[in-house]
Amino acid sequence: MNRSARSTILLLAAGIALLILVALPFWWVVTGSVKAPQEIISRAPTFFPHSFTLDHYLRLLARSAYATYVGNSLIVAGASTLLTLLLAVPAAYAFFRLEFAGRETLYRIILLAYAFPSIVVLIPLFGMFAKLGVIDTLPALIVINVAFALPFSIWMLRSFFAEVPKDIEEAAIMDGAGPVTVLRRIMMPLIAPGIASVGVFAFITSWTEYVFASVLIISDAKRTVPVGFSGMIGQYQIDWGLLLAGAGLAILPVVILFAFVGRWFVSGLTEGAVK
Amino acid sequence: MAATRNLALAFVVPAMALLGLILGWPLFSAFLLSLQDVRSVGTEGQWVGLANYTKLLADGAVWRALGMSVAWVVANGILQTALALAAALVLNQKFAGVRIARTWIILTWIVPTVIVVIIWRWLFSTSGGMINPLLMQAGLIERPVGFFSTPWSAFATLVFINSWRWFPFIALMLLAGMTRIPADLYEAARIDGAGAWKRFTRITWPLLKPTLSVLAVVGTLLSFNVFDIIWLLTAGGPAGGTTTLPILIYETAFKGYRLSEAAALSVIATFVLVAFALVTARSMHRDEGRT
Repeated sequence: MNRSARSTILLLAAGIALLILVALPFWWVVTGSVKAPQEIISRAPTFFPHSFTLDHYLRLLARSAYATYVGNSLIVAGASTLLTLLLAVPAAYAFFRLEFAGRETLYRIILLAYAFPSIVVLIPLFGMFAKLGVIDTLPALIVINVAFALPFSIWMLRSFFAEVPKDIEEAAIMDGAGPVTVLRRIMMPLIAPGIASVGVFAFITSWTEYVFASVLIISDAKRTVPVGFSGMIGQYQIDWGLLLAGAGLAILPVVILFAFVGRWFVSGLTEGAVK
Repeated sequence: MAATRNLALAFVVPAMALLGLILGWPLFSAFLLSLQDVRSVGTEGQWVGLANYTKLLADGAVWRALGMSVAWVVANGILQTALALAAALVLNQKFAGVRIARTWIILTWIVPTVIVVIIWRWLFSTSGGMINPLLMQAGLIERPVGFFSTPWSAFATLVFINSWRWFPFIALMLLAGMTRIPADLYEAARIDGAGAWKRFTRITWPLLKPTLSVLAVVGTLLSFNVFDIIWLLTAGGPAGGTTTLPILIYETAFKGYRLSEAAALSVIATFVLVAFALVTARSMHRDEGRT
């Protein structure tokens, strides 16, 4: 066997292993959610479902506040995304395009904040929010999500700003455009892919956030998807049909979102890393 | 020019203010709280100086949790990086569907952790899970294994699940580093008769090292912070076998109602992380100076 055939086989094997590792768990969960209860707990697992039922989904929708959880999560993730962009884009523009005293120091602080342990501020924030009377409100979650998404978002925008040629900006300034106009009219259209990937990043981190949502939200009507579902794990112990249907329904919105913007997000993520 | 400077500040200040309010100020008040003896939220406490710290540093459970956190970070670091490197090498090749693979590999990272927990609890479960029957068919085990029932196996299983969630993210970062390596280096090596392994050890690995060391720092901090996967799967058990520092902090604050002690633990954790970040940043700096 020649070398190129051997490396093709090796690549194929590694690719299949990767596919199994990432996709197979999802396949089993999604197919599991439409299997009849006895097939779900069968000792001989089936790759393709032998039975088909939507019963788990119907029970889930009837018994849990799934629609409420998704609604809350959409509000929290949507608002967090908008606010993150509103704060991150001007800040990144200032950091990477403007000169001002203390720029380096402030940027270092941002980088430091990136891997900040959330558990460290959980306790004082709980006390702080209790005093302010904003426990059990969605805005409390939104503010926290924005703070945790900001550092990485600013960092991600760096390479996108860096790619805009200096002369385009200078020509605009020559024509009398101020920094606000430059940002809005020149930069924003050119870094649109970067804005999109930061938006997806902020949306996903807020959509998946669990720790703060579990401590700061008390009433069932205000729960987000992660906390709502974690409540179900304990509530209906071992009702796998219900939990798998829940997993299916929680995977669906991110998959739909990702089908549209996934490519941008991934390229934004990797572009940011190389520079 | 002064106008530009003011405007630059106006662009930066809102973001910095929010970070100060949500991260900076709470960190400071955690420190203040750690010098008192507050037990639950909303109650007042007395100033006790460093009493919480002396108590905690004499507590075996704290050192055990710290050791567990170190083991957690190291085990995840090794498994995640190995998986990510393999994945990045595959995704760096040209084949049909590679663009789709590069996008959708991150699926494990974009679904909520709760869903990751449901997925793997079911797959590893003894009733209906896929993993036990597969291992039995392969003849590796005779009867279903409770993956979460002993401290050691629970720890190993958690490491696997957490690494599964994070490795695609790291793989994409590594892939970004790989695509930056000039293709003619590989071409030249191939002409000189270097095999795939040699090309990896002589070109890919050395040129990827800066990316890898940045990821080592970031990955360490991110792994250290992991709370929800552990909490939802084992809640630190069995027998404290998966109680890392974040789990201990959470338990101390919200199950044990010893808020000030939990705050002291948070301050200790911050110190450990900052010290780690500074030491690795300095040694990375030294390495750069050498090459």
